Amino acid sequence: MSEPATPAHPLYATHDTPLARINGRPVSRAAWLADVHELAARLPEGRAALNLCEDRYRFSVAFAAILLRGQMNLLPPARGRTVLAEIARGYSDPIAVVDSREGDFPLPTIAVTARGEAAVAAGDTPPPEIPLEQTAILGFSSGSTGTPTAHPRRWGDLVAATGQALQRLEMDRAPGHSLVATVPPQHMYGLESTVLLALLGPNTLIAERPFYPADVHAALAREPRPVLISTPFHLGTCLRCGQPAPASPARVLSATAPLEASTARELERHFDAPVTEIYGCTEAGAIATRRTVAEHHRTPYPGVQVNADDGTSGLALVQGPQHAEPVPLPDCIEVHPDGAFHMTGRLADMLNIAGKRASLVELNRHLQTIPGVEDGVFIPPAAGSDAAGIERLAALVVAPELDEATIQGRLAGRLDPAFLPRPLVRVEALPRSATGKLPRQALLDLLARHGECA
Amino acid sequence: MGAQTAFEQEVAQLIVDSLNLEDTAPEDIDPEAPLFREGLGLDSIDALELALAVGRAYGVQIRSDDEDNLRIFASLRALSEHIEANRTS
Repeated sequence: MSEPATPAHPLYATHDTPLARINGRPVSRAAWLADVHELAARLPEGRAALNLCEDRYRFSVAFAAILLRGQMNLLPPARGRTVLAEIARGYSDPIAVVDSREGDFPLPTIAVTARGEAAVAAGDTPPPEIPLEQTAILGFSSGSTGTPTAHPRRWGDLVAATGQALQRLEMDRAPGHSLVATVPPQHMYGLESTVLLALLGPNTLIAERPFYPADVHAALAREPRPVLISTPFHLGTCLRCGQPAPASPARVLSATAPLEASTARELERHFDAPVTEIYGCTEAGAIATRRTVAEHHRTPYPGVQVNADDGTSGLALVQGPQHAEPVPLPDCIEVHPDGAFHMTGRLADMLNIAGKRASLVELNRHLQTIPGVEDGVFIPPAAGSDAAGIERLAALVVAPELDEATIQGRLAGRLDPAFLPRPLVRVEALPRSATGKLPRQALLDLLARHGECA
Repeated sequence: MGAQTAFEQEVAQLIVDSLNLEDTAPEDIDPEAPLFREGLGLDSIDALELALAVGRAYGVQIRSDDEDNLRIFASLRALSEHIEANRTS
């Protein structure tokens, strides 16, 4: 190459192992690249595209095609029209790359139809190089200000973080593992633990996303050397389904919410495999792990440091080669002298329902800005969700002109389904104190008076 | 709304119990109305919970690669018919 050298890293690692498997059919890295080029040629000029593909193979093709065109993957946390429109507005009319145009999208779409079936000559064409400084993705988190906050990550950041994960999880050696995941690829954990471990390591992503416990068990029995990538909620359903696991994965990864040690022990027995928790957040990506049955603390990835709060924000900060500057962590964290850390709690405003995080302030803003809603508040469940089942949010709403179904419908366009309130109760007024605050007990009393509270 | 059969009444009770739908009476579930999105407004978390409850009560393991999956959860009637055809307990 004669151009001036921009620091870059190949789009994928060259291995003989398939990049993906679709219904059991392997797709080579060369065949995958042909699909990527085909899609890249169809993408319009632009800064960014929403990657909404649900099929993990198609997501990976779209992810790479968007990178090849020098654009950013916008990864929305939810698929409601309002959320998509709000995100799209910020990026000069992007298109959305989707599996199928059948759907309700508030912006133009391009469908990925390729299934890794292009005829490719066996050859040793080197993979395309992507500049390290190119912004590869924008993840979105719920900020306390209300609107989703964008978190850019450069290709170099993803390469560095994935290298750490491959090493820590011992997934960097051929013949690699089959990545069986219940998490969507748009989620930071889903992206890092499936698509990137396959692209940048010898691993093979599984296109299908198992959902029911029977699906998870079947995928583990079908795929060679599987690693199960899931959440405490989903793993808990495998325990509760009453069926034995038909095959053992090489390991089980869990993230999005803390895993109880007792649940981790049951999971290790159920799957006959080590269960590793990954700790991370949309802002910083994955940064640490622990083997939950054996460790109370979490150990940062190689080259990553977690430091106690700087005395101003009260938040612990993480810094690794993948972070341009120290990133505040959205949890209460105590750092040990050896660099490991443990979580002492969640920040008060953050909710975690079925492994999905949201800010209570933002949920309330969504509720209160529905036309016809005069006042409203979400009430978090008393105990956190755990493997034994899901606690739902409740909501009290003052909306004399609207019925419950209308309010629920409006919320459904704005929120992840996990946050939809159950019950949603219409009341005449909220029990606001003189300072406008809503004491939790007063809310619970009001909810109970309406006979809707368990 | 059509009338529920005896078995549909039983499955309706299972739905209400397993999903903690305190404000829905089992007999009020229209056997032909969609269970998800519209209708009862259930979502994917509910689908998982309901699949677990159906597995425990009737030994029917629900799979999403089942070609009939969309149809199974289409309504109380479809779910009840699927359980009756596949139950082991």
